[in-house]
Amino acid sequence: MNEPILKVENLTHIYSPGTPFEMTALDNIDLDIYKGEILGIIGHTGSGKSTLIQHLNALIKPTSGRILLEGRDINESKQSVREVRGKVGLVFQYPEYQLFEETVYRDIAFGPKNMKLDPAEIDRRVRLAARFTGVEESLLERSPFDLSGGQKRRVAIAGVIAMMPEVLVLDEPMAGLDPGGREEIMENIMTYHRETGAAIVIVTHSMEEAASRADRMAVLSHGKVAMTGTPEEVFARGEELRRMGLATPVMTDVADKLRALGVELPGTVYTVEQMVSALMELEGGKRRA
Amino acid sequence: MLKDVTLGQYFPGDSVVHRLDPRTKILLVILYIAALFNAESWVGYGVMLVCLGAAIAVSGIRLSSMVRGLKPIVFIVILTSLLNLFYSTGEVLVQFWIFKITREGIKAAILMAARLVMLVMGTFMLTYTTSPIMLTYGLELLLNPLKKLKVPVHELAMMMSMALRLIPTLIEETDKIMSAQKARGAEFDTGNLIDKAKAMLPILVPLFLSSFRRADELATAMEARCYHGGEGRTRLNVLKLAFRDYAALVLGVLVLAGIVVLARFGL
Repeated sequence: MNEPILKVENLTHIYSPGTPFEMTALDNIDLDIYKGEILGIIGHTGSGKSTLIQHLNALIKPTSGRILLEGRDINESKQSVREVRGKVGLVFQYPEYQLFEETVYRDIAFGPKNMKLDPAEIDRRVRLAARFTGVEESLLERSPFDLSGGQKRRVAIAGVIAMMPEVLVLDEPMAGLDPGGREEIMENIMTYHRETGAAIVIVTHSMEEAASRADRMAVLSHGKVAMTGTPEEVFARGEELRRMGLATPVMTDVADKLRALGVELPGTVYTVEQMVSALMELEGGKRRA
Repeated sequence: MLKDVTLGQYFPGDSVVHRLDPRTKILLVILYIAALFNAESWVGYGVMLVCLGAAIAVSGIRLSSMVRGLKPIVFIVILTSLLNLFYSTGEVLVQFWIFKITREGIKAAILMAARLVMLVMGTFMLTYTTSPIMLTYGLELLLNPLKKLKVPVHELAMMMSMALRLIPTLIEETDKIMSAQKARGAEFDTGNLIDKAKAMLPILVPLFLSSFRRADELATAMEARCYHGGEGRTRLNVLKLAFRDYAALVLGVLVLAGIVVLARFGL
């Protein structure tokens, strides 16, 4: 986690410039994504999250500024665009709606096939991706349209993972799933992260999710990066987050309220575990006194 | 990209033209088209141009948006003008190889181009100043007599307004699916025709599926709110013809009559 694999420099994006519908979606954004890290991107609806992540693999071209993949501008040539599509995998919101093939196997193989890999390698990757996402062998020959919602979602994510991206970007990967399904998908993503060392970028609304998994967080507000830092650093600025219309984790709220009541709670608190240890410390301190 | 497509665009406003009853506007467009096809001379076209110009001026629609809408028909206008230019008989002005240009040919070419442009602009006046909902409601009321002949007028109007409503949604959906497949390395602009056709498959399959799903959901949502077709259905805003509607219709009929009389006298 030392050198950035993706570097966003002075990125500005304006939709429909020169028309009455002109809108600045991203305003001079700087952001580094480091090798092997887990970055959580949070922000209010319309803060520019989706526009930002679509820049990361050249689906949208910047109005100004650049995105560097290992030091090279990704929009430099057709070749560099093709390369970044393979190295930065992007999973859209509700990815199950892009399934189209007759079998699960062929749908997962779509990405690797577009990368012009040889059949043996494609087969290896499809099976590997299926394993990472918990798609059982027996499902591979089924039609993707016969699967349950959660299974479809996992097949769709496998379709991107099969390209073996070095940066996996996911837009709200757990949206619309039940708690069990959310946990499973999250575990699948973490398995991919652990076994390949790929960087993970997760766009989310859920503060708890971001807090518990991310190494680092970036908060977007009105097309600007409002904060970056570890979850501790970001959640320590709870008041600012709330002003941006973002909720802080429940435990942070509780801690802030306790502090307002005069309880001197030590450290930052955003998970239940941290709350417990902070309270224990408090208790212990009192007893000692 | 796809988002820039405009289809039957409506420019909200509060002019007299906007406030006219949709039925009046539909009838006026029909009268206008009839008059346009009866006009034969410079004078007749002049009268029609004045009518169109007056309507545009009153509506407050900018001329630039009118002109922008003409883009798709430029080719047809040029083609018909050229055909008229070369295929008319009469007093020969220029002759080369197998082509000859006549005085009548020039006149026909100019008038034909003017007719097409004015025809499209006139219909724009309808769609630019009438919201899709009002338009279909107006159409439904006008076609009501056909119910006697067991034509499902209400159902047709409902289908039309739903289709209009879903066009932007479908465009957005197509955009989204294209982006998702591009992210998986799909390329839509390389290879020969067959490759390109094959490349459409990953877009069309999800698009069809989501259209069916959307239609199904819409049907359920409508039934859940007790929709059961046109019978006994009432409206929140019932259309009523006002004085301005009658005045506009009388004016329209007068213009048509005037053009027909002019044509009689060869003008």
